[in-house]
Amino acid sequence: MTTDSRPTDPNEPPLVGHSFDGIQEYDNPLPGWWKWLFVGTIVFSLLYWPFFHSGAPGRSIEERFSIAQAENMRLQFAEIGELKPNEETLVRMMNDPGWVKVGESIYRGNCASCHGIDGGGVVGPNLADDHYKNVRDISDILRIVQVGAAAGAMPAWQNRLQLNEQILVSSFVASLRGTTPASPKPAEGNVIPPWPSMIEFETEAEAEAAEAEMDPLLTTEAEPVTATQIEDVPASDGS
Amino acid sequence: MAVAVPQADHGTGSLEASVGEVETYQYNDGITRMFVIATVAWGVIAMTVGLTVAILMVLPKLFYELGPLGELLTFGRLRPLHTNATIFAFAGNAIFAAIYYSTQRLCKCRMWSDTLGLLHFWGWQLIIVAAAVTLPLGITQSKEYAELEWPIDIAIAVVWVGFFGVNFLMTLVTRRERHMYVALWFYIATVVTVALLHVFNNLVVPVGWFKSYSIYAGVQDAFMQWWYGHNAVAFFLTTPFLGLMYYFLPKAAERPVFSYKLSILHFWSLVFIYIWAGPHHLHYTALPEWASTMGMLFSLMLWMPSWGGMINGLLTLRGAWHKVATDPVLKFFVVGITFYGMATFEGPLLSIKSINALSHYTDWTIAHVHSGALGWNGMMTFGMIYWLLPRLFQTKLWSVRMATWHFWVGTVGILVYIIPIYAAGLTQGLMWREMDETGRLVYPDFLETVQTIIPHWTIRIFGGALFLSGVVMLAINTLMTWMSRPAVYENPTYSAPRLLPYNGPEPAGKPSPLEGKPVLEFGKKVDQFARMDWHRSWERLPVKFTVLTLGAVVVASLFEMIPTFLIRSNVPTIASVKPYTPLELAGRDIYVSEGCYNCHSQMIRPIVAETKRYGDYSKPGESVYDRPFQWGSRRIGPDLAREGGRQSSFWHWVHFEDPEQVSPKSVMPIYEHLLVNELDFKQITDRVRAAHFLGAPYDRELEEAPEMARRQAEEIAAEIVSQGGPVKYGDTLVMNTQAVALIAYLQRLGVDLNRPVTPEPVAEPDAAPAGEDVEVEVGGG
Repeated sequence: MTTDSRPTDPNEPPLVGHSFDGIQEYDNPLPGWWKWLFVGTIVFSLLYWPFFHSGAPGRSIEERFSIAQAENMRLQFAEIGELKPNEETLVRMMNDPGWVKVGESIYRGNCASCHGIDGGGVVGPNLADDHYKNVRDISDILRIVQVGAAAGAMPAWQNRLQLNEQILVSSFVASLRGTTPASPKPAEGNVIPPWPSMIEFETEAEAEAAEAEMDPLLTTEAEPVTATQIEDVPASDGS
Repeated sequence: MAVAVPQADHGTGSLEASVGEVETYQYNDGITRMFVIATVAWGVIAMTVGLTVAILMVLPKLFYELGPLGELLTFGRLRPLHTNATIFAFAGNAIFAAIYYSTQRLCKCRMWSDTLGLLHFWGWQLIIVAAAVTLPLGITQSKEYAELEWPIDIAIAVVWVGFFGVNFLMTLVTRRERHMYVALWFYIATVVTVALLHVFNNLVVPVGWFKSYSIYAGVQDAFMQWWYGHNAVAFFLTTPFLGLMYYFLPKAAERPVFSYKLSILHFWSLVFIYIWAGPHHLHYTALPEWASTMGMLFSLMLWMPSWGGMINGLLTLRGAWHKVATDPVLKFFVVGITFYGMATFEGPLLSIKSINALSHYTDWTIAHVHSGALGWNGMMTFGMIYWLLPRLFQTKLWSVRMATWHFWVGTVGILVYIIPIYAAGLTQGLMWREMDETGRLVYPDFLETVQTIIPHWTIRIFGGALFLSGVVMLAINTLMTWMSRPAVYENPTYSAPRLLPYNGPEPAGKPSPLEGKPVLEFGKKVDQFARMDWHRSWERLPVKFTVLTLGAVVVASLFEMIPTFLIRSNVPTIASVKPYTPLELAGRDIYVSEGCYNCHSQMIRPIVAETKRYGDYSKPGESVYDRPFQWGSRRIGPDLAREGGRQSSFWHWVHFEDPEQVSPKSVMPIYEHLLVNELDFKQITDRVRAAHFLGAPYDRELEEAPEMARRQAEEIAAEIVSQGGPVKYGDTLVMNTQAVALIAYLQRLGVDLNRPVTPEPVAEPDAAPAGEDVEVEVGGG
């Protein structure tokens, strides 16, 4: 094909001096900013690699995750510590609106798809009425959450949720009782007595706290076993 | 071969002297015409499918009423059709049109073989048709942009290498232009690398004609897939389009290319660096962290090599900007190159791990690829076609006005598409990770995060429709221009001297300004090197150039692959992870076939907000039996890596029947056909055997797969009944349905990690009794 024979402007940069199907190329140098940014990315990479991969502790993804997770656990549960899985805790958490909201968050992420967002029941049973299939007292809720029920219809959550989460979600489920869902499923199972009230636990706890104050050395092991099997209440908990 | 015979004559001007007698030749423009028409036709189809899947995301039950046809037209099956059609049919034919047109002119010769050209054209179109038939039928390998099953893969290899590659490289060898122009370098890189990527990512063990298992599993499969996937973007959607730009832009602008030196540097750095960057698609996954870091760093280093192309494009327009105002061709090119610059800045940005933690699995990626595909590939293709139409059909373009309209409608269409989708991606990413001051998820309900972005999805439909209407204008313009073609095409004859072999040194160009100056000898050598005459001599040796390019990509690939495959500690095996039961394997194949991976990931990242939502993060050893891996790249629905035991089997049953029964406002399609269609238990044997061949430790499964599968299906069916479900669905027994197999698979996902390894009686009082029963019980949920 014909070669380009346009007159070259004297102000224009020099051409390389070849032509392909009429296409010519300037002999322009590399733009400086281009060259130095390129070098910059290479230098950055040479520094980045040893920083993250020389084995210094706390820099791998797993380690940073562990740190972040521990931080998150503190953020969530520092106030309550490790909850004891017992009836008293369940009742106490059920009556604490702040922690009920935490339980609700766990419920919405894991339970709502079967029990409905407001506990009215979908594939799983209605949790808002007075009828229960596998629950006779409040601690049964926690047990069912942990090990499941009805041949896997209700999954076991003990490997999926932390103990605190299991307890809080159970308390939230208990708190649903007596609410009015938008579209409730018909009742299943038996009517069971109402949940224990907080008062009986409070008297117990007060007595215990008083005792602890009187004799700080006395451990809770000496506590007489009550019918509700209270184990202990953390001394730090002012309840 | 042109390089074979060394010449003794090293005198000045020997290069010019080593030419033979003058020969005449004609170009084969017929083949280019065919590819251009195919580009336009497939463009309309590919983007119509794209618009359809965009609508399906908002109206997931749209095709359900169509009955048996509806089950072929779900999002999971159509989305791969959209991506494959856009990449391989639309962009693919555009590449071929560009290469067939420009290579002949840059080489001053006709394509080496007209027959190979025709075989290439028709072979490629047949492959596309095969894709359009098999993908909706659920015949898929489920690896993104490599979904087509093995017989089609073989056809692709034959057409690409045997017909196209041979024809192209032989044209280079028989050329009459001494040096190869930069466009040809990019074409060479395309031809060799795509072949390499395609072959090594698609190595499978067939199970019949329509099914295969990848020879790689889990982490390694993921690595190979994204080595391929990322470089499909690099060598199918970038290098050939840069080649296209280097030819058609200076032609249309009638301006010299900005910098020859920049071409050299950005070509080689691009080719060498691109190939490493694949693992940035797998940040925070079970891929070893060093590979992920490698992917990130090479992506950052890729920024300037990519921008070298943009600079050479935009600065070539210096002195021609007044033409941009009037010429729609240049308008398309300017916007195309600008989008290239944006996308190749965003790419390195998204490869930074901490940014990727936010963007991955969200619509951000979708916006990113569409700014690349619509903006860069689309606009460059349209510019090229509008430039070619009058030349190929030897008449005036039917309507310049309409082409200008196409430009504006298309550009606005891209913006209306990507802006809401960027917003959707950010919204999704931020909602998923949002935690309140007490450290709990603010949006624990996944559906809430989906519902929030449905308005964005709706606006996107209009953006897509605008872009498509532009392509329809192109189709009309093409048709009308074709109608006014002459009765007989003129086919001028050109003449050029034949090249004789020459292997001497490159004759010195202009004398060095350092000549005779008081400069160290070393300085002169550096100056000599920087003048790049050494590269000039490579440019006349196509075989050497091809080998060097191949070397660059192979070396870079091996650096990452060898450690990934050889070091076992990269993929820790977990003793409690066992192969799938026969029924679960069958269920997994249904999962693959339905394209569930298009909406559901199976890879929980070690990020607090994510483990809170989905459970413990995924470990490399958990996917050692996953052929192909199903980690996914997108979460339109929630992650399923720990789905096993999370819902009851009956819940899944009801969910397939109509997701909205248990998840109101879900955007998942209805999968009722799984409740109706019977599972073919007999074919499970072949699949178990293939998996066994690839290393899954099966024993009695090899002989009794169907019986074992039936037993497990009965158990799950019994579970469904005990949980309140039916015994029969229509005329089908629940235990015979495909749904039961899929439920078996879903109930298995992620449970192995917490399974007791050895039957220890002290492990847990509540745990099931030890022995074989454990597997069945856990598998059954």
